[in-house]
Amino acid sequence: MSLLRNLATGVRSLFRRNQVERELDEELGAYLEMEAADKMEQGMSRKEAVRAVRLERGSAEIAKEVIRSASWESVVDTLWRDLLFAVRMLRRNPGSTATVVIALALGIGLNTTVFSFVNALLLRPPEGVKAPEELREIWMHNPRDSGAQGYMPLTYPDYLYYRDHNQSFGGMLVYDLEPHVVIWNKSGDGQTVFAQLVSGNFFPLLGVNAVLGRTISADDDHPENPQPVIVLGYGFWRRYLASDSTIVGKTLMLNGADYSVIGVAPAGFTGLLVGFEPDFWAPTAMVEQITRDKGRLSNWGVHSLIAIGRLKPEASTDGARAEASLLEHQIEMDHPDLKRNLEATVFPATLIPAPLRVYVSAFTSLLLAVFGFVLLIACANVASFLLARATGRTREMAVRSALGAGRGRLIQQMLVESTLLSSVAGLLGLILAYWTAPLLLALKPASLPITLRLPIDWRVLVFTVIVSLICGVAFGLTPALRSAKVQLASNLKDETRPAGFRKSRLRSLIITGEVATCTVLLVCATLCVRSLRNASSINPGFNTQHVIAATLDPGSLGYSDTLVRTFYEQLSEHVRALPGVTAASFTDHLPLGPAREHTILDPMHRASSKSDAIPVDILRVAPDYFQTMGIPLLRGRDFVSSDGAEGSGVAIINEALAIRLSKNQDPVGQRMTFFGEKSSTEVIGVVPTGKYRTIGEAPIPVAYLPQLRARRTLVVRTSSDPATLLDSIRREIHSVDPNIAPTNLETMRQYMSLPLFPARITGLLLGVSGFLALVLTSIGLFGVISYIVSQRTHEIGVRVALGAQRSDILNLVVRHGLFLTLVGLVFGLGIAFGAGQLLSSLLYGVVPTDPITFISVTALLCAVTLLACCLPARRAMRVDPMIALRYE
Amino acid sequence: MSDKPSDLVQGTLDMLILKTLALEPMHGYGISVRIEQMSRGVFCLNAGSLFLAIQRLEREGLIDGEWKPTENNRRARYYTLTAKGRKRLDSETREWGKQAAAIARILEAS
Repeated sequence: MSLLRNLATGVRSLFRRNQVERELDEELGAYLEMEAADKMEQGMSRKEAVRAVRLERGSAEIAKEVIRSASWESVVDTLWRDLLFAVRMLRRNPGSTATVVIALALGIGLNTTVFSFVNALLLRPPEGVKAPEELREIWMHNPRDSGAQGYMPLTYPDYLYYRDHNQSFGGMLVYDLEPHVVIWNKSGDGQTVFAQLVSGNFFPLLGVNAVLGRTISADDDHPENPQPVIVLGYGFWRRYLASDSTIVGKTLMLNGADYSVIGVAPAGFTGLLVGFEPDFWAPTAMVEQITRDKGRLSNWGVHSLIAIGRLKPEASTDGARAEASLLEHQIEMDHPDLKRNLEATVFPATLIPAPLRVYVSAFTSLLLAVFGFVLLIACANVASFLLARATGRTREMAVRSALGAGRGRLIQQMLVESTLLSSVAGLLGLILAYWTAPLLLALKPASLPITLRLPIDWRVLVFTVIVSLICGVAFGLTPALRSAKVQLASNLKDETRPAGFRKSRLRSLIITGEVATCTVLLVCATLCVRSLRNASSINPGFNTQHVIAATLDPGSLGYSDTLVRTFYEQLSEHVRALPGVTAASFTDHLPLGPAREHTILDPMHRASSKSDAIPVDILRVAPDYFQTMGIPLLRGRDFVSSDGAEGSGVAIINEALAIRLSKNQDPVGQRMTFFGEKSSTEVIGVVPTGKYRTIGEAPIPVAYLPQLRARRTLVVRTSSDPATLLDSIRREIHSVDPNIAPTNLETMRQYMSLPLFPARITGLLLGVSGFLALVLTSIGLFGVISYIVSQRTHEIGVRVALGAQRSDILNLVVRHGLFLTLVGLVFGLGIAFGAGQLLSSLLYGVVPTDPITFISVTALLCAVTLLACCLPARRAMRVDPMIALRYE
Repeated sequence: MSDKPSDLVQGTLDMLILKTLALEPMHGYGISVRIEQMSRGVFCLNAGSLFLAIQRLEREGLIDGEWKPTENNRRARYYTLTAKGRKRLDSETREWGKQAAAIARILEAS
């Protein structure tokens, strides 16, 4: 009550200051009048009475000031006045204000951009979900593996057991970790769509209701009798079905079977997995029908389901974790034949699967650190700018101080100015982030089916506000403290000229730090960009210029083996007949992609040899694959179509495997046995070692086998630009079987953007940050050197008067600038030396101590320094001794 | 200058103002004169600290101010004690009595 009254009075006096002021005047006046009147009654003259009152009561003005400054609104009032004054001061030299604000805005903006990714990936809860903080993820963990490899999701039988036996969760749902690629037969045209399979309690447990129709229910998801029903994603419904309001009850033909639409999910709801917006949801129990993978629901080996539980209010995460481990042990007791020795654990659920979170946060914190450095440089510029201004305003501060402004008041005023600067910059930075964040996302290869929403929500806003305020206060404080430390007498008497070097020591320190930071950034950026160039010029071991690839999966339509074989034979004939095609073949997956088949060579097959088991990657290819991909056959022969039969027992190996297999002998004709196979396989040819998993890998032993499955990737060699043939190949696939739609139909060059993407994006971001750092540092250098020149005008005038040549003056200025840079460089190179070691795992073909990088960064910074010295030096050379000395 | 007015004990000015206003509504000068008279010239108030205290009391809702003509046909702001102010005065008086007695006992003991 009294607080409210206090507030009301305060606000009244803020906005009706004149009236409040008048009332105070009148009241005080009346007081003094009455007292004077009393005194006059006692016989004093009016003049004497007024004088006596003054003497006794003190000045009315001071009394008023005391009364005024006691109330809270006076703080607001002075802040407001300071703000207005700050605006006036900053507008007085708009050029340098704009430079500083823009530099700071770039720094804050880029950090906000990176943070909006951090927010979207790690902080934001899934949209449209009720009480997401109660959700927990359940993972299985192999204690013998470290890192993310040790974690795996649940199998369907695991899920059923956990769901029915736990006490901690009010309900447990599952969804498929991997999206299912499904072919939608849209009146004769095949189109690929992405499905997420979810348990029957998925929607109810998340509290998500359909905007149209209903969601999937537990009855739809019964393993004995699953229903072919789907819930459409809102985006899919709007884009491909034109928001058809009568869609419920209609059927879509998916992978050759009819599914009836039972509902549409609400806008914004995209499930629980970041980056993936399912086109539709179907019951988990339909998995065997959709993937044509029989027995998957009862298989204890297919770890594909992410389980999410809603923690009961009385349960704790630790309790749930202990219980999950217990349940896992019970499963292993009930099924000793599984022999899996796993543990189970529980994490809070976020949009990124828990085991991957640490990698994502490591990468984003690296980016935040890099852009944090850029911001630091921008802030150093602000501090330097404010310091220069503070020095120029010592007289003003002295006057204010003489008029009774306290130290706190002076500091407050300077801080208001720096905070104003940083707030304007923060606002601009927010606008910048709004534009650059989607731009950054657009850099990803088109083939990456990732959708990521990057909203500027309250978390991003809070981040920006905090960063801006910290910048304003932290970097305004030093200049503020310094300017509040005025020596009244000396400053008011005359403006003593500061003697150049010593007085600008703080600014020199700042600029040295700036150069050091910039050096570190530039070295890291150059190392990464050089490594990137090396990486993109690596020969992956196959032709990337004249090859087209397309993935096909007739198996998903339920075709028999014979039908599959016929389809591929026909397609192969059709494609080879196209003009411009010189060869065509198939593989089960392309190297450098996400797919992988891995086994080991059984060491038992060669009892004489003491070598351990050899791990090998398997690629399955059709005849002519090597010719199509431009891989030369070093020895032996290529596959022929008869090799493709099951159990033909032949393989082609790469050199890396050949060396492991037999040091000096001819590998062709050697026999090897794969783990778990009874008969041995004969090596019929050798090809050079290429890149298979990542572009920077060490040689990996690989065996090519001729047996292919229903899902294959078509590879086509063209004689001219492959991009012109994409459409004809799509047409040929359609003409052979209109139900089959190719996925990832693209040229090999487009395909290669995926494995090169991480390096490319890192290189780009580092390049941008290095460039910005350089620009900001040169602005800072320019500012400091101009300032020093202006402070030393008098000294330069004296030197010229005493006979110094223009070249001497040039020397003086440039030497000073270079000195500052060199000190910064020495520190920066030292730190960069250490930082490079941290980067070494990311670098390809460049050592972290790469001399070219270090030398070129040094040269670049020196050149920039000379450039920054140029203008101030010219001004210094033109100093007229007469004017400079007379100014005294 | 030997009988210079004493400074008020910290925090007692509010209580004195409330006490003065408990008798009858009064303007600032009246309060000051009344306190000076009742204390027989021991306490002499400075206009600044008096109005500071008045402003504080008014904001706390202990007193109410109102512009009224004075007996000499001048305009002045008259302050009245509110119910809340009366309660505060009672509690402060009691508290003060307790403290003063305690201090007196301590001083007499030695």
